[in-house]
Amino acid sequence: MENREVLVDVKNLRTFFYTEDGVVPAVDGIDLTIHRGEVVGLVGESGCGKSVASLSIMRLIANPPGKILSGEIFFHGEDLLKKSDEEMRLIRGDKISMIFQEPMTSLNPVFTIGDQISEAITLHQKIDAAEAKKRTIEMLRLVGIPEPERRFSQYPHEMSGGMRQRVMIAMALSSNPELLISDEATTALDVTIQAQILDLMRGLQKKLGMAILIITHNLAVVAEMAEFIAIAYSGKIVENASAREIFKTPRHPYTHGLLQSIPRFTERKTTEPLPAIEGMVPSPYHMPKGCSFNPRCPFATERCREEAPELEELSPGHLVRCYHPIEY
Amino acid sequence: MRDYIIRRILGMIPLILIVMIVSFGIFSLVPNPFAALTENPRIKRADVERLKHAWGFDLPWHLRFFRWFGGVVRGDWGPSLLFPGSTAREVIGRALPITMRVMGLEFLLALIIALPIGILSAVKQYSITDYIVTVISFFGMSMPTFWFGLLMMMFFSVLLKRPSGMPLLPAGGLMTPGLEDAPFFVKFGDRLQYLVMPVAVLAFNSIGGWTRYMRTSMLEVIRQDYIRTARAKGVPERFVINRHALRNALIPIVTLVALSAPIVVGGAAITETIFTIPGMGSLIIQAQIKADYPTAMIALMLSSILVIVFNLVADIVYAWIDPRIKYS
Ligand SMILES: Nc1ncnc2c1ncn2[C@@H]1O[C@H](COP(=O)(O)OP(=O)(O)O)[C@@H](O)[C@H]1O
Ligand SMILES: [Mg+2]
Repeated sequence: MENREVLVDVKNLRTFFYTEDGVVPAVDGIDLTIHRGEVVGLVGESGCGKSVASLSIMRLIANPPGKILSGEIFFHGEDLLKKSDEEMRLIRGDKISMIFQEPMTSLNPVFTIGDQISEAITLHQKIDAAEAKKRTIEMLRLVGIPEPERRFSQYPHEMSGGMRQRVMIAMALSSNPELLISDEATTALDVTIQAQILDLMRGLQKKLGMAILIITHNLAVVAEMAEFIAIAYSGKIVENASAREIFKTPRHPYTHGLLQSIPRFTERKTTEPLPAIEGMVPSPYHMPKGCSFNPRCPFATERCREEAPELEELSPGHLVRCYHPIEY
Repeated sequence: MRDYIIRRILGMIPLILIVMIVSFGIFSLVPNPFAALTENPRIKRADVERLKHAWGFDLPWHLRFFRWFGGVVRGDWGPSLLFPGSTAREVIGRALPITMRVMGLEFLLALIIALPIGILSAVKQYSITDYIVTVISFFGMSMPTFWFGLLMMMFFSVLLKRPSGMPLLPAGGLMTPGLEDAPFFVKFGDRLQYLVMPVAVLAFNSIGGWTRYMRTSMLEVIRQDYIRTARAKGVPERFVINRHALRNALIPIVTLVALSAPIVVGGAAITETIFTIPGMGSLIIQAQIKADYPTAMIALMLSSILVIVFNLVADIVYAWIDPRIKYS
């Protein structure tokens, strides 16, 4: 634990969208540290800015309507936000790769999957077409696609969703990235396929040793994989700690609520309804004053309704954004 | 793919048969096709009767159809009433290549201009370029060909003169008389100046529509997930557009261009009349006005076949760019 080398350090990232209906503060205070070879989970309800945060790291936010207002994204100590477009392009798909939620639409329908993976390889490695094909087939085999030679010349529409997500993983890992961002990569898949893909990612992480930022709205997904977990709520990180601490001693009322709403087969009688967090996620156009969680928080006080708390380190490695953290 | 093309060509046969029946039917339903002749005091009654017999108008219509059909297939298209002494085949043989040349050039020119401008307009959506392109496209789409043709003629043939006093561009016709024995490139250049205005008038009309459709199609494609995937793997922006997006954006355009073939044929008729070009368009109009039914029937049939061929070419191109099209 001591000699962990920091790979990515996101500091107070803020990404807004300027739309006709108003300004959307999609990401308004994301802090995240990822060490080399570590799996970090980013968890939050849908719409809380997880995708925008990860696309900001990739510098893939379309401007307009989006704009990264402030913050720093250090990668190996260099701020990605200060890099030129060309420097950033060379990092994308090489050192940082990303896979997405929708395997059905994430691959280009008019090119073979072999073409699409080979392209990712030749973009970042100086090898010829024959070599790239060999490497592509190797990658297909690595992600568990049967008959890779035949699959090479197939089109995406000839494959199932699970197979396509494997292709996406093969493409993302073809250049041995140091960081893989997985944005809800299993959300759209059937439960059994979901488990297979998570297994695959875990196996590949052990084998290849890259760091993974695994983004999900489902705590159960990160429970099995992530060593560290960041909880996001309406564009802000509200709690960040080791997975153990998040599950054992959650300090933020929102994290606590999230954990309560996970079904547990052993402890609860099935007739009892699951406790859900009361209220609704605030509209991005009408953020509440003070702490954005205050309208739903059972512990909210006058102060929470007036000023917004900062992210603070309450114990070593355990960061919480709350005036009234839960005590144990 | 080869089988698919052969099957599609065979599939054209029934369509062409229907076109022939309709072409024949339209002119056979004319109550008395020889009215103009019988009213003319200078034509003897016996001659009219002889003509009726030669044309099979003394036979029931279905027998007449089979006679006509046999003639068409054998290449014996009958005499031209419009140009006494010539056969319909000779008359059409002179007109068809002229129209094909004008239309071919206009298609080529319109595609070469419309597609890149449509792409540019989409990539730079809401920029000054986009607004200018939009305004000009709407002009092109909404300006009637005959009016734009006359306007051009006024400018380039009446107002603008060469130092020699000749109009800058000839107002009509095909070539300057007396150049029959000139060297090839002189003849070539001469013919070209006669083509400039008719081709430009026709092309401007197509460019207007095609630019808009290309823009719309491109805008639709560049917000697809697979474009984000291409960017995420580090594809340079120009390849994202020209390789990943373009091929998908072209799929609907192929159909559109093919469907506009009849409009171009119709527009060509008007343009040929204005610029006194002895092509198929003006031939059809004259043949109908002057009751030259043999020529009119064949001309109508050939124009319809042209449209069918266009659709066939479109289907083949379609299957070639979109792998999801099943050949079977
Ligand atoms: N291109 C965009 N234009 C405007 N608003 C956007 C855009 N992309 C995302 N948003 C808004 O940003 C917020 C966060 O979205 P997102 O990051 O996709 O959430 P999630 O956590 O589910 O991934 C949402 O309110 C969404 O509506
Ligand atoms: Mg998302």
